[in-house]
Amino acid sequence: MAIHSKSATREHRKRSQLLAPLGVLICAAAAVLFSGSAGEDPLALSPGAAAGPARLVSVTPLPLEPALDAPLCEWMPASASGSLVASWRQERRAAMAAAERTTADFPDLQPVRMIRDPYAAYSAVAVDPVRDEVVLTDENLFQILVYDRMDSTPPTARMTEPKRMLGGLQTKIEFQCGLYIDPASGDIYAVNNDTVDTLVIFDRNARGNVPPTRELYTPHGTFGIAVDEEAREMFLTEQHDNAVVVFRKSAVKDESPIRLLQGNRTRLQDPHGIAIDTKNRLMFISNYGNSHRKKPGGSVYLPERSGEKENWPVREHEPGSGTFSPPSITVYPLDASGNTPPLRVIEGPRTQMNWPAHLAIDVERQELYVANDMGHSILTFSTSASGNAAPIRVLQGPKTLIKNPTGVFLDTENDELWVASFGNHTATVFPRGASGDVEPLRVIRSGPLDEPALGIGNPHPVAYDSKREEILVPN
Amino acid sequence: MHAIAYDEIHDEFFVPVPFPQAILAFRGGASGEEAPVRFIQGPRTGLAYPIRLAVDPVHNEIFVPQGDKVLVFPRDGQGDVAPLRVLGGPDTRLDSSALAVDPLHNLLIVIGELPGSDVETDHILIFNRTDQGNTKPKAIIGGPRSGLRNLSGPFTVYPPKGWIVLGDRGEGGLASDVAYVGVWSVEDNGDVPPRWRIGGPHGVFQMPRGVTLNPKHQEIIVSDKRLNAVLTFHFPEFF
Repeated sequence: MAIHSKSATREHRKRSQLLAPLGVLICAAAAVLFSGSAGEDPLALSPGAAAGPARLVSVTPLPLEPALDAPLCEWMPASASGSLVASWRQERRAAMAAAERTTADFPDLQPVRMIRDPYAAYSAVAVDPVRDEVVLTDENLFQILVYDRMDSTPPTARMTEPKRMLGGLQTKIEFQCGLYIDPASGDIYAVNNDTVDTLVIFDRNARGNVPPTRELYTPHGTFGIAVDEEAREMFLTEQHDNAVVVFRKSAVKDESPIRLLQGNRTRLQDPHGIAIDTKNRLMFISNYGNSHRKKPGGSVYLPERSGEKENWPVREHEPGSGTFSPPSITVYPLDASGNTPPLRVIEGPRTQMNWPAHLAIDVERQELYVANDMGHSILTFSTSASGNAAPIRVLQGPKTLIKNPTGVFLDTENDELWVASFGNHTATVFPRGASGDVEPLRVIRSGPLDEPALGIGNPHPVAYDSKREEILVPN
Repeated sequence: MHAIAYDEIHDEFFVPVPFPQAILAFRGGASGEEAPVRFIQGPRTGLAYPIRLAVDPVHNEIFVPQGDKVLVFPRDGQGDVAPLRVLGGPDTRLDSSALAVDPLHNLLIVIGELPGSDVETDHILIFNRTDQGNTKPKAIIGGPRSGLRNLSGPFTVYPPKGWIVLGDRGEGGLASDVAYVGVWSVEDNGDVPPRWRIGGPHGVFQMPRGVTLNPKHQEIIVSDKRLNAVLTFHFPEFF
């Protein structure tokens, strides 16, 4: 006679108690599955007929291992610490979850709302007086737009259509903010700012989504451009590294700069606009005032595509050296390089500068125009100004339609001053020397007059203010 | 600015500014030319190029990734303050590009490439919130099954459920057809696929960057660089 231990009996009873309900379940399922009249397929549906009440259509046996064979309570040695067991449990849960995880995909999920400006936002302007055209960069939709110089949007019209447009992924235009038109060929030089790290140059006849005619790989964060046609040199300001890099005008791809102006004595502090006076051999730079010191001999930032470069700006900061300085215009010899201090600095509250962006120079009258972004004005200084100098003229006011101007261009052929306003979809034209609150001669609009410009440019982060139910979007 | 954090307990928002090496704190309703209420800047801070941050309003701390280390400052720090602690060292495997804090589970989540790894795709590293020095991460999420590739944008966590939600830029470049926003858990570890993917691959996104949440309305809000837009998705499953 077999003798069964009490523990074995308990174990057998436990297992039976668990298996019995399972058996009942299987039988019931089979009954449901195979019920119905002989010859009828219980699962068949007549076309157009309702599916009927819910029915069990399949049964998958529960695994016998490890769940039912395993003890119902996990064995825990008395010596194990709570944290160790918790860690083990978490690892086991995670491993099991990882092995079983499948992703629930919602690729077609559409946003319920999208904040996006549908109209072009003008960031830079330049005139081609030979072909009587005006070119504008659009830093919202990533386009270069070409209009007739004499275009003017009627007040009742929604916008003016450009006569030519460049845009699309192939163009490598993105957040472009600087512009130069080759006076001889009409070629368009467009400076990309936050991304791409490439200066793109297009033949004047290019249109649509086409690759650039020429590309030049630049340091990260270029903004302003000026060209010395006589010397065949091209100057670019570079924000991130507080530098000015100079290339051959015809430089291409991986070519190194021929000169670099950078160093802790240069007073370059988040440089933006640039204007050059080739007659007096001077270079003018507008600075926002954000400052830090570079580590002498520090590392440079080079994209993977590049090889070794000469005259490439140092990226490495001295930790903890940052300061906030007032906005300024710094003046240098045109061929300045290395750690050269400025000849003069225009800086101080009387200047009214507030995020001074692009510059334009009137060599004949020795005047410097400043697109004064947060001042909503165009400031005009004497090129010999220094220190806390007031502008000699200020173009500002509601009649001017100037709002967050980032672009300015002086058309000396036609005696006109152009302003690209990032803040309201307009480009406006004034007589050379215009001052005060005056109406423009002409206005080119990319959108309706009463449509707000959202000012979105590279919306990198985003935050939600739960108190005010507002979305915060830095640019 | 490449980061922003709203502190709903103290009604303030914070932004890092890399050029002057500072962390700015503004009143929640600040507008126009209003000055920050505080800013952290100076030689003791050790800030070199702060482009991202995260704020823990519960424990009153600001976390700033600086490549191979993370600096932690007091939330109400003013001026030239030294970090409260620094997480850094070879064992941390940090190459931090962005981070987020879960004050409920006391975790610090950091994204970036994995130094010493054979692959150049991004990973998610999970630390204890108070870890410092040369401390190994508790968990590393990444690998071929995870699908993680280019994560460089700011991201967020949802502490009540322990979700990590971030944008993956896919192949990189100016735009990617395989970009998406994915959700993992703070309990995940290893080569784990996301629990959800929304808006892609082959969806509306071209280059997702920042992510934030509106729990009250069950919304996930995402900025997209190439669209130059901010998109709001209603996704109750997440909440």
